[in-house]
Order: sequence, then C-alpha cells, then structure tokens
Amino acid sequence: MHFSETFSRMLLYTAAIVSLACVMAVFAFLVYFAWPVLAGGEWKDLLSLNWRPFQGHYGILPMILGSMYLTVLAMLVACPLAAGVCLFCSGLGPGPAAGAVKALVRFMSGIPTVVYGFVAAFTLVPFLRSHFSGSTGYCLLAAGLILGFLILPTIVLIGLSALERVDQELSLTCSALGLSRVQSLIHVIFPAAWPGLLAAVLLGFARAVGDTLIALMLAGNAPQLPGSLFDSIRTLTAHIALVVATDSQSQAYRSVFAAGCLLFFIAAAVNITVFRVQQKFGGLSRDG
Amino acid sequence: MTGKDRLIYFLAWSCALVTTTVVCGLLGFIAWQGGAVLGPALFFGDAPAWPAISGQVPVWDGIWPACVGTLVLVLLAASLALPFGLGCGLYLAILAKGRKKAFCSLCINQLAGTPSIVMGLFGFAMILFLRRTFVPGANTCLLLAGVCLAVLILPYIVRATQNAVEAIPLTQRLIGPSLGLTLWQNMVYSILPQASRGILGGVILAVGRAAEDTAVILLTGVVANAGLPRGVLGPFEALPFTIYYLAAEYRSQSELQTGFGACLELLILTALLFVSARWIQRKIENTWY
Amino acid sequence: MFRRIFFVFLCLCTAVFSLQPVWAGSSDLSAFDGLSGRLTIAGGTAHIPVMKQAARQIMEHNPDIAITVAGGGSGVGVQKVGAGLVDIGNTGRALSEKERDKFGLKSYAFAVDGVGLAVHPDNPVNNLSKDQVKGIFAGEIGSWKQVGGADRQINLYTRDEASGTRSVFWKKALDKGPVAVEANVIQSNGAMKVAISRDPDAIGYLSIGHMDDSVSGVAIDGVSPTRENAKEGSYPVVRKLYMNTKGEPGKLARTFIDYLQGPRGAHIVSENGFIPAGQ
Repeated sequence: MHFSETFSRMLLYTAAIVSLACVMAVFAFLVYFAWPVLAGGEWKDLLSLNWRPFQGHYGILPMILGSMYLTVLAMLVACPLAAGVCLFCSGLGPGPAAGAVKALVRFMSGIPTVVYGFVAAFTLVPFLRSHFSGSTGYCLLAAGLILGFLILPTIVLIGLSALERVDQELSLTCSALGLSRVQSLIHVIFPAAWPGLLAAVLLGFARAVGDTLIALMLAGNAPQLPGSLFDSIRTLTAHIALVVATDSQSQAYRSVFAAGCLLFFIAAAVNITVFRVQQKFGGLSRDG
Repeated sequence: MTGKDRLIYFLAWSCALVTTTVVCGLLGFIAWQGGAVLGPALFFGDAPAWPAISGQVPVWDGIWPACVGTLVLVLLAASLALPFGLGCGLYLAILAKGRKKAFCSLCINQLAGTPSIVMGLFGFAMILFLRRTFVPGANTCLLLAGVCLAVLILPYIVRATQNAVEAIPLTQRLIGPSLGLTLWQNMVYSILPQASRGILGGVILAVGRAAEDTAVILLTGVVANAGLPRGVLGPFEALPFTIYYLAAEYRSQSELQTGFGACLELLILTALLFVSARWIQRKIENTWY
Repeated sequence: MFRRIFFVFLCLCTAVFSLQPVWAGSSDLSAFDGLSGRLTIAGGTAHIPVMKQAARQIMEHNPDIAITVAGGGSGVGVQKVGAGLVDIGNTGRALSEKERDKFGLKSYAFAVDGVGLAVHPDNPVNNLSKDQVKGIFAGEIGSWKQVGGADRQINLYTRDEASGTRSVFWKKALDKGPVAVEANVIQSNGAMKVAISRDPDAIGYLSIGHMDDSVSGVAIDGVSPTRENAKEGSYPVVRKLYMNTKGEPGKLARTFIDYLQGPRGAHIVSENGFIPAGQ
C-alpha cells in the first residue's frame, strides 16, 4: 500500500515535471540559438531599419514596429466593440437576444484563424483596393480589422465572466439605491470588475501580438516602416514564418530566433502581470 | 431615461449588431461558396471514392490527403499530450499547495500564452540541434509536428483537468479518503470518473485547437502535395495549410472553389468539436448545481 | 484472299514494331519498374508544374514510389539539398562557385525559361523602356500616367529574397538596381500570377512558362516576353532551370533526372510553357 501511494505520487510528479520541462525547453532552445546575437554586439544590427539579407542587413526594427502598430490597431477595433457587447449581454439587451449574442461570440472563438484570413483575402482586400487608391488592399488596415474581430471573443468572454462575478454581489445593492441598469453597469459594476477586465484586455493583447496567419495573409509583408494605414507591413510573427520557409542564409536564422525570444518575453510579461493582478485583487476564471 | 443612458443603449446595441452581422456574413459567405462544391469531387478529385480512401489510388486535386493528414496529426498530438496533461492537472488539483502550485500554474499559463509560431520555431530549433548532435539525418516530419502540437495543446488539457477536479464539491472529493482508498484508487475510482465530463470537454477543445493551427505545422514539415501520410518520419499535408496555400496560389477558378470547400469542411469540423464540448460542459453544470 | 489478309497482317506488324523505338530507352516510364522509395524535391517555384506532372505520371505507373514536391525558392533548394534534407534541389538560376564548392552540388539543366514583366490584362501599357522599368521598380516612377497608362498609382510586387526568378530579373532587367522597400513581397511564381491578376494597377515579374491569359506580358524595349523570343534569343532575360543533387544522385533520383531530360520529359516541359534544354 505504501509502495502504491509513492508510485502514484511519483507518477503525478513526473507528469508535472515533464509539463514544466516543456516550458523550460522552449525557453532554452530559443535562447541557445539567439545567444550569439544577444551576447555579441550583433543585437545592435538587429535594431536597424534595413532588412536586406543578401546585402548583410538583418534589421528587424520594421517588423517590431509593424507588430506594435498592428496590435494597437486591433485593440482599438476590439476593445470598444467588446465593451459594447459586454454591456449588451449584461442586461442592456433583452434576455433571449443577450443569450444568443453570447452563444455567437462563444462560437466565434472556435472559428479557425485561417478561415478568417481566407475570407478576408477575397472580400475585404479587393474592397479596400478599389475604394482607396494608393493601396494594394494588402495593408495594415485590412489585417488590423480582421485581427480585431479575431481577438474580440477572448476579451468578451473573459470580461463577461469577470462582470458576472461582480454582478452577483452588487446588482441588488445598486437596485436598492435606485440606479438604473445602465447607471449601475457604468458607474459601479465595470469599475468594480477592473482586475478581470484588465486581464481580459491583456490576454487579448497577447493573442493579437502572437497571431501569425492574419498578418501573413493580409498585411502585405513589405519589410518597411509603416507610414500610413494603407501601407504594406510585416510583423515579427509573419517574419519568422517567411524567413524559415525561405531560409536563404544561416545568418538570417539568428535574427529569427531573436524575434522568437522577443515574442516569448512579451508573452511572459503579460502572463506575469495577469498573475500579479489576480493574486492581489481576486481570482477570475480564464475559461470564460 | 436620460439622454446619456439612451446613447449607451444605442452604442451597446450597435456593437452587438456589428459583431453579429460580421460573423453571420462570414459564415454565410463560406457556406454559399463552399456549399456549391461539396461532394466527392472536392475530396477525391477524379479518383474513385473507395480505392482513394483506402490509399490504393493516389488522389490528385482533392483534399482527402489533407483531411487524413490533419486527422493523424491531431490523434498523435492528443495521445502525446493526454497522459502528461492529465497527470499535471491532477497534480495541481490534488497534490500541489502554496508556492509550488502558484509556480506550476504560472508555467502552464506561460505555455498557453506562447504564440504558436514560437512553438513552431522551437520545433525547428530542435531539428537543428539534433542535426548537430545526435541524429544527423533528422528532418522535419509528422512526428515533429505532432510533438510541437502536443506541447501547444498541453495547457488546455491541464487547465481542463484542474478545473474539472476542483469543481467537484468537497463532500464528493472526500469520499475516497473517507473510505480509506489509496491515492491511486482514489484517483482512478472516485475522482476521475466524476471529473470525466469536464476533462472530456477540455480534450475536445484541445483537439479543435490542434486541428486548426497553421503556424506550428508551417515550420515543421507540412507541404502542399504529399499524398496520404506514409509513416511518421515523412512530409505530410494538412487542411489549414492547404487553405493557406490555395489562398495564395490558386491556379484556376476550380482550385479557388476547392479552397472554399476546404474552409467549409474545416469550419464544420471545428464547429462540431466546439458544440459537443459545450454540450458536455452544460451537462456538468446541471449535474453539480 | 489469304494473301491479302497476310499482307495486311504484315503491314500491321511492321507498323507496331516500328513504333517501338519511341517507347523504348532508359528515359521512359519503364525505367521506374522495380524501384521503390521516396523522392523529395524542393526549391524553385517555377519548376513546380513540371515536377508535379512528372511525379503524377511516375506515381501512377509505379505506386511504390512516392514523390514529394515542395517550393520555397531557389535559395531554399540550394540550402536543403546541401544539408541533405531533400534529394533534388531545384534552382531557377545557375549555382555560384561558392555554393557548388561549399556543398559539393551537381547541376542538371532540363529547361530554358524567361522572366517577364507582367501587368493586369486591363492595363493598356504593354511596352516599357529598360530605364522606365528600372525607375518603376526603384520607386521613382509612381504613377501609370508617367508611362502612358491611367492616372493611378503603380502597385509594385516583388519576390522574396530566396527567389531565383528575382535574382535573374534583378541582374538582367534591373542591372542590379535598387528595388523599392514598399513593394509587396510574394513567395512564389504561382502566387505572383494570382496577385497580378487580381490587382488592376499591379506590376510584377514571373516565369514566362507561368504566364497565361490572367496576366498580360509587358515588352521591354519592344521585345515581348514570349516563349518564341526566349528560344530565339531576342529576349534577354532568360535562365535555365536546373535540378541539383549533392554529389552523385541515388538510383531513384538519377532515373528521375534522366526521365526529365529525355523525350518524355521534354514533352512535359513544352506543355508547361518552357523550352526543353536540348533545343
């Protein structure tokens, strides 16, 4: 009996250790391959605006900026829409309609990314091309709009679960004070649920930074500094996919691993922030 | 109602309307374009159906090899991830306490938050490393993609197991120990059966995630034409990559229509998985509350 | 009457036996009998239709052989075959001395192809001087009006850095001039064709063998990018399509190379819009 107890404990410990080992392995491999760049002086080269590998320029700054611009645009599209949908589902819409919208948003989170990209490539891109001269259609705007819709379900579902938790505690109090539904939502419930809402926004941000297909299919992939909404841009994620698929020079690998490290660290920063917020200000469910 | 209230109502309604219109438009467009092509020709091209399914006749211009490739990939990833995911989830729910639990949770969340392209890069790095050290003949293949996808979906299974076990009311969880069962007996006969629905729901979601992921397989060996997968150490086709490839390089209208058909098929697949996971989870909510 | 029948029979036999030389020889499908295994091919995207058609014929003849064809561009072809990751690496340009020595590669040319400028079929511009071409790709000429077309912005499309098509066009048509950084980057000949055919203001370059009715070729200094001009030699931007192996090719790879360099292969090459290397 004692043996069986130890055995089952060992089994569980092993499983946990293997899972942890996976995270460590991902981190280790990335750093191992990016190390020559990060430790040597080459990382300064990476911060140049020039990506021309055949001429020896491995600057990934345009891609970093492209990722930033795209993520910010996607957040600008997604956050107001998410706020509106949350309001609608928290009582501003009639019961059956709110339930239907919530189910639809849940379903949206299951739609594959590549399907969004495919449909947008044949509807949104020609639309932008014909209505805005000076644009090929494959631009920051096209990718930003679709990415915004992609991350919308993440923000809405986590936000709604945070709101519902607070709602249970506070809605009676608000009605007792004579507040209308709108007033109680805007002035009491949203502010009270701020840790959960912040976590929702941060997780949406992380998803937007880490997405590859939308940028690869819709943003044009020109390694240039984004000048306007209608310029073709390249993100870090699309850059990794393009360079590894066309691995022309082994020196270009190292820039790609540096890009991978950067993405990993951004995800880690978001993760730790959400964790601290959760620790200090109360729990939330991440499943929605 | 004050003017400001009215404005907020209007904004909430319009956001909901915009979202609904966009999603329904997207689904309707795919159903319309893809529905026109559904049929044996979409899957098998000009090869006869039954010999093609069994692999006796190679399929050209059809998406059947990609479907099989996706299926094999998903099964491989799920079978690799399931034991470790279950074990780690049970560890988090039953054995771990305090700081160890927090640290482990943090690591699992980090895995969940890692972009999928970074996961693919990890797989590519593994091959580079293996080529330099132990296995000079290593190449990107189905096995590598399966391993990387398994690491990608591991956190989903861990979280689902942990949530399912933690959702069991304390009184039910105490049944095992109160009867004097060992840890193993407790897990196998008491906890896992009660948590099975939640775990199943999580596994189905993880499978859906593995089926639709493109970034990982892009870097670990998917190609546009390979036929049915011949062994795990070779190149393979997959449905999401076929869609991506057709979007960029369709050579005729019929190939474009094939792309829409493939979209519709992938959508139906993930929708089915998703709806069944939700249905299972609903049943749990009815069981406990 | 019997003599007539015998005479007809003799004629038939002669006809049948005289056809044999067309089907015999080491460069036809019977060479693949008894072989089995996997052949992996990667690299130049211009080669893909030819490779796929040959693969289909061979695999239908002998189901024990599996041939996988991938793209990636000429640079990828060199890297992968040099690292031993694929059996045959395709390139749309000749190998440099450095590449040949570093990896120990052997090249086998099987077709001649040209790289042509292309625009959307509705675009009236069909002739440009070499200086205009250089100016357009450098980003200095921004509007179609400046070269005789409508008053709309020129949308540039270029290939990725690993592309052999790109390096040939850059050397021979652009004289190694600069390419504007805001050009959209496309990853294969097939995708370039799709991109140009869907954008009325597009200009890009692709393999002549890939051109069809969905794009319209643009003449440079009066010479159109057609197969005939490439064959004659009047169109300057031409290149050979090569298959490369690391050292001596294995049995299956050798048979495949012989097949494509032989008469059946020449037929496939012509069907796909290229010129067989022997001619």
